[in-house]
Amino acid sequence: MHKEQSPSHSRTYWLDILSRFWAWLFLFAMILIFWIGNPAFMSLFNLQSILANMAILTIIAIGQTYVIISGGIDLSAGWIMGMVAVIAASTMNRFPEGTPIWIPLIGGFIVGLIAALIAGLVNGTLVARMNVPPFIATLGMAGIARGVGFLLSGGMPVPIYVKGLGFLGNGYLFYYHPNAGWSFLAQPPGLVQADLRNLTGILPFVVIVMIVVLVIAHLLLSRTRFGLHIYALGGNKEAASRAGIPVVRRTVSIYLLSATFAAIAGVVYNTRFTNGAANAGDALLLDTVAAVVIGGASLFGGAGTVIGTLIGALIISVLANGLVIMRVNPFWQFIAVGVVIIVAVLIDQAREKLTQ
Amino acid sequence: MHSKKYLVLVGALMLLALALSACTAVAPAAAPAAAPAAETEAAAAEASAEKPTVALVYGVKGDGFYVTMEAGARAKAEEMGVDFFADGPAQFQPTLQMPILDAVIAQQPDAICIAATDKAALIEPMRKAYDAGIHMISVDTFIGETAGDYTGEDLSWMLSYVGSDNTQGGETACQAIVESMGGKGKFYIQTTQPGVSTVEQRVEGCKKAIEAAGGAVELIGMDYNDDNSSKAAEQTAAVLAANPDLGGIFGTNLFSARGAAQAVANAGLTGAVKVAAFDAPEDAIVALKDNVVDIVIAQHPYEMGQKCIEFSMAAIAGDTASIDKRWPTGYTIITRDNVDSEEAQQSIYKAE
Repeated sequence: MHKEQSPSHSRTYWLDILSRFWAWLFLFAMILIFWIGNPAFMSLFNLQSILANMAILTIIAIGQTYVIISGGIDLSAGWIMGMVAVIAASTMNRFPEGTPIWIPLIGGFIVGLIAALIAGLVNGTLVARMNVPPFIATLGMAGIARGVGFLLSGGMPVPIYVKGLGFLGNGYLFYYHPNAGWSFLAQPPGLVQADLRNLTGILPFVVIVMIVVLVIAHLLLSRTRFGLHIYALGGNKEAASRAGIPVVRRTVSIYLLSATFAAIAGVVYNTRFTNGAANAGDALLLDTVAAVVIGGASLFGGAGTVIGTLIGALIISVLANGLVIMRVNPFWQFIAVGVVIIVAVLIDQAREKLTQ
Repeated sequence: MHSKKYLVLVGALMLLALALSACTAVAPAAAPAAAPAAETEAAAAEASAEKPTVALVYGVKGDGFYVTMEAGARAKAEEMGVDFFADGPAQFQPTLQMPILDAVIAQQPDAICIAATDKAALIEPMRKAYDAGIHMISVDTFIGETAGDYTGEDLSWMLSYVGSDNTQGGETACQAIVESMGGKGKFYIQTTQPGVSTVEQRVEGCKKAIEAAGGAVELIGMDYNDDNSSKAAEQTAAVLAANPDLGGIFGTNLFSARGAAQAVANAGLTGAVKVAAFDAPEDAIVALKDNVVDIVIAQHPYEMGQKCIEFSMAAIAGDTASIDKRWPTGYTIITRDNVDSEEAQQSIYKAE
């Protein structure tokens, strides 16, 4: 059905190329417009903030990519992320003061991950074994995760008392100051308030985390048999089954993976905001679906890539940043984002028709 | 037919429950949410027994502000020997709140305290409750077009409006930021969603404070973050890129302020850009102590809950003279200088 697998040098060759790279073109056009609109857009600080701020969205969207390629959708990812953020935060607070920071960090992640995996297992079991439509199964799980997150947090964000955690989420690998010079892993000591405005951070930690996750997810999808199976599932489930692919097991693993990425995003949220909020991922969920679809995945399954999702997330984040930098009226911002998503899906559909 | 599959599912759900109970650090918080169902039955059974019943219909589930209000009411109810139950919608919306109000009315409590989610839409359903012989009190939000003044003829059936003035709260918050900015500089507002009356009033009040500073303080803009810290951080980072000389930010609720403060921290500008947060759960206080935010504006939801029970009991006893038609609960401004004071500590929202 989908062209990705069979590139041909026919007359539609250029259309095929365009359809593959339109998202890149779109992204660069947007960057150009915002750059001209306000040169501050291109500052090192701003470009790094865009990348750091899109980390959480991108990580959830990667899980969503796997699910959507397999022909499903995971509406629970946002609330699972919030539930993990709450559980991990409560867990981290249980470690005695003075414990090296990585112990509560990993401990919180593991406990949160267990809860997420249980949710993912239920999602996968409902979809694969009991033929519940993914939309409904994960919508139900979204409600459960939401309730659990609020119950455990008592409705308020859980503050995390672990010292230094905020630096992991907000710090940079290097710092440069015109007077104090370079420093590694910490701000140069002795800067007073007036100096702070001239301090430049380089390479936020969360961007490094995002890149590592992206590379692993990309390799898993594009270089392994497991990845191939996911495309096969989304293309045609019966054919996949006849070809000897363990459909049920694979489907369950896909939802487990999505929950795992949501859990990673939850802990990244912990480090960035030094709290755990049950509704941390709620507003991001539809953005993750949009990122995946803008990135060239089909909501009917069978097509999509991790790199595509990265571009989709970049487009959404650059748009959100650029519109604010150019001081576009917030109500117009809603419209602009909506138009971009619709245009992206239209191009996606036109692409399928043209390349058939 | 699918019994094996269902077993798997049930097993998985039980595991989920187990895992949760094992890692719950704040398990007691589960009690208030689970309680209403049980207490509702109890209330129905005991209807018109010697103990009076008071219900609280709050604005939205899972919000620290209302959790604290419920805790205040519950404590007072226990103290005064009142049967108390509380419920509210999953979102701050009249269409979701009305059925809940109807269900509460059906249980025939003696009084209802309600944080109406719409000034106009809730008037008729509340009037219906009053006609059924239930004493009605507004908490947090008010109904009608008289800004919470229930002395007029139209709304005289309402016993009282217990709540803080959000416009005044926004003004107080922004006065405090402007002051900490030295009375001049660029100002930015992070807010949740368009169309939420309480938050819009805070913005309105904030703009008053900015205007009062004359031309010295410039409001460079306001953005909506969907009640999400990540989005707030994203937008604030963009504003900081375009305006490196920004002086102050008002976050109209905790999530807005947390996101804004995080972008400020990311820019290495903590301390140079002042951030004020509206509402004071424990997390806001931790952020204050960690120099993430500079000012926290606390409402007094616990007091609102207490007053709701006190006024209800007075009304049930027929003592309407002791009930104020308007009971303003005021604000506490918390900074690093006064955070350990008794007044500040009492204003922090707590679930228990």
